[in-house]
Amino acid sequence: MALLEIKNIYKNFGGIKAINDFSLVANKGEIHGIIGPNGAGKTTIFNTITGIYNADKGEIFLDGKNITKLPQYQITRLGIARTFQNIRLFSGLTVEENILCAFDFMCQYNLVGGLLPTKLRFKEEKRARELCRNYLEIFGMLEYLHEKPENLSYGNQRKIEIARALMCKPKILLLDEPAAGLTPTEVSELTELLKKISKKFGFAILLIEHRLDLVMSICEKIHVLNFGETIAVGTAEEVQNNPKVIEAYLGVEE
Amino acid sequence: MSLQILVNGIATGSVYALIAIGFALVFNILKFSNFSYGATMTVSAFTAYFLVASKGYGLVPTLLVSAIAGAVVSLFGEFVGFRRILLNNSPTTYFFVSSITLATLYEGLVTIKVGASFFRYPDFFSVSTLNFAGTVISKSDIIMFIISAIALGILAFIIQKTRIGRALRAVSFDREAAQLMGINSTLIIQITFVLSGIFAGLAGCFLGIKYTLTPTLGSLVVKGFISSVIGGLGSLVGAVVGAMLLGIAEAICLKIFGSGWATIVTFAIMLLFLLVRPQGIAGSNVQEKA
Amino acid sequence: MALFINVLTQVCITLVAVCGIYVLTGLTGMFSLGSAAFMAIGAYASGLITIKLGLPVIVSFILAILMAVAIGFIIGLPVVKLRRDYISLVTLGFGESIAQLLIQMNYLTGGANGLLGIPRKVKWPIALASAIVSITLVAMFKRSKYGRQCIAVKSDELAAEAMGINSSRIKMIAFLLSCALTAFAGCLYSFYMGYVDPGIFGWKKSADWVIMVFFGGVNSLTGSIFGATILSALPQFMRSLRDYRYVVYAIMVILIINFKPNGLLGEWELTPTHIKETFKKIKNKFNKNSKES
Repeated sequence: MALLEIKNIYKNFGGIKAINDFSLVANKGEIHGIIGPNGAGKTTIFNTITGIYNADKGEIFLDGKNITKLPQYQITRLGIARTFQNIRLFSGLTVEENILCAFDFMCQYNLVGGLLPTKLRFKEEKRARELCRNYLEIFGMLEYLHEKPENLSYGNQRKIEIARALMCKPKILLLDEPAAGLTPTEVSELTELLKKISKKFGFAILLIEHRLDLVMSICEKIHVLNFGETIAVGTAEEVQNNPKVIEAYLGVEE
Repeated sequence: MSLQILVNGIATGSVYALIAIGFALVFNILKFSNFSYGATMTVSAFTAYFLVASKGYGLVPTLLVSAIAGAVVSLFGEFVGFRRILLNNSPTTYFFVSSITLATLYEGLVTIKVGASFFRYPDFFSVSTLNFAGTVISKSDIIMFIISAIALGILAFIIQKTRIGRALRAVSFDREAAQLMGINSTLIIQITFVLSGIFAGLAGCFLGIKYTLTPTLGSLVVKGFISSVIGGLGSLVGAVVGAMLLGIAEAICLKIFGSGWATIVTFAIMLLFLLVRPQGIAGSNVQEKA
Repeated sequence: MALFINVLTQVCITLVAVCGIYVLTGLTGMFSLGSAAFMAIGAYASGLITIKLGLPVIVSFILAILMAVAIGFIIGLPVVKLRRDYISLVTLGFGESIAQLLIQMNYLTGGANGLLGIPRKVKWPIALASAIVSITLVAMFKRSKYGRQCIAVKSDELAAEAMGINSSRIKMIAFLLSCALTAFAGCLYSFYMGYVDPGIFGWKKSADWVIMVFFGGVNSLTGSIFGATILSALPQFMRSLRDYRYVVYAIMVILIINFKPNGLLGEWELTPTHIKETFKKIKNKFNKNSKES
């Protein structure tokens, strides 16, 4: 059974077909890339998978369970974590608290512990904090533990967002343009990092990205979209040589 | 009998519609609930009372002065309370606090001026009621209904048919994009506040005629809010429809439960309504962008 | 001395309520214009239970708070799923309805004249202890996972949901905690004053509390407490200026919102880390100045 199975989903906004018959099967440890020009419906796919939008048609299965109609937070709890194209860290919380937030639904104490200093609360908070430090260490960001995220560089904010997504203990990680706005060195760092974490934690990654070098170097399978339609699926070489893809990116030769 | 209730309901509803529409205008464009709106009604009703009505002028000058006062107060509020917050791109919570602060300020000022005493507009109409086949209609209700209808008609015309209206719709849809298209969104927001203030003035004056003038007159704004919620937040048509429905519902409750309970029952109805159809009648529930 | 003790008690009771407002507004970013109505529920329910049923004060407090929470649940149910504007609008309507209800049920509540003859059991030590307990509870709440989730929901509801946070549930918890605290303040109030009347629980009171929270700093519990203490103590000492009180407040808050939007204290809290940081900052400034000279 596949880890994530998207079966022919459709999503319209008014008259615009944002997603038109999109399907995808992802297994453990795989990295899938989703590419396409602006407005191709890439982020809409993520939003539909994570339950921000409901698909008009089609179904999405996670581990064989139908998650198409579930609310957003339940989908996350079942194991799909994401980052956002325009970084959405919580202002008003430190880096550490931002990351802890993603673990809080697994934190085992109740409202009594929320109001009183119970033993369980301390135990659980300690467990969460240790885990948080763990992830930050992987990203080499431990020194920023008590910083406010808005004071960090763009690249570091992206990393914090990925660390936060990892804290949900996902089976599938959705990364929405993780390399946008990064310098070339940061991009190659990120590439290494993604390879490292996908091997280490063994989850599947879906990646939306404009930097084709990044996509080509780490994705096993690439889906190319244009105006909501999937125009090509395959490995990096297959996709690169597909005439439809060249047409979508470069236009038709006169 | 039931016709009487309907007539009473529509009479009340037309005043609620004025409240609701002024509130919805600002909500529509800035996406926040302007709680200073109620106090704006109070201030303009009192201004009209002291400047015009108490000196023996008729209904029309009173209404005019009240509307102008509402526009001025509303514009003042925009300048003092909301302009900087908007330019700083502060979170919507600040609009909220600013608006209730302004409400406190206005109400405080009125209280200083008049204390806790009651005032009444003079009777503008010699014969106060008309009788149609057993249905009693007060003349003031008819005039209020007509004036409300005219005001709403003019507003609809401005929004649908004029350049300002188009700009207004554009700004309410996407302020930044409108700005990039060369629309002076600050000016449009000011115009919206002026329009909203005019409606506050009219509504304040009518409430003053219907009830008595007190510094807490503005708390009747809650009727406008409820109408907006029933109609669908941010929808202008919804606000009017919601107001009419609320007016009629209240008239029915008044008949069944008596005056004190009507407020409570209509509130309960609204709560139930929200559970069943949270997007309101118009269904244009404003959604945050993903 | 008597005046001082009176002011102290009143300030402490206000602090209990403001703790509730802080949870709702400061942490979760929701505004209630009906908080005072929950205070009214607490005040009337506890008073009535003791007068009519003769139950001990503690029991009537607990029952009154439970009742406020139950009513809060009904009010909250439709609105926590919606935009935040709804909670302000609905609570405002609720507040007005409660005021009407108290007047209408005059066989029970004494109507517009108020409920008289509540035993004056609350003295200043109880009020002070209640304030301290409430502040401690809220401080614990803020540092717990719930507090974090509240701030996350306030900052970005959609992203919070994407992190597995059930934002409706969190908003409900914050709302109910706030109801409980304001109702508790109401209990204290009625048993301190000995009588309650419906006039003091209008939206103005709720607005007053929100203003206090914003005055000191909406993101900081310390700031909210500080703001509440100052703004509720000052007018007690200057009775002659009573009428001008709201106007002066309003002008101050408008200035703060325009020019120092995070309130007087911003996010600063009275905790060891923050104090240490502040000292460091002052020291650095001092060193810099001495070097320059």
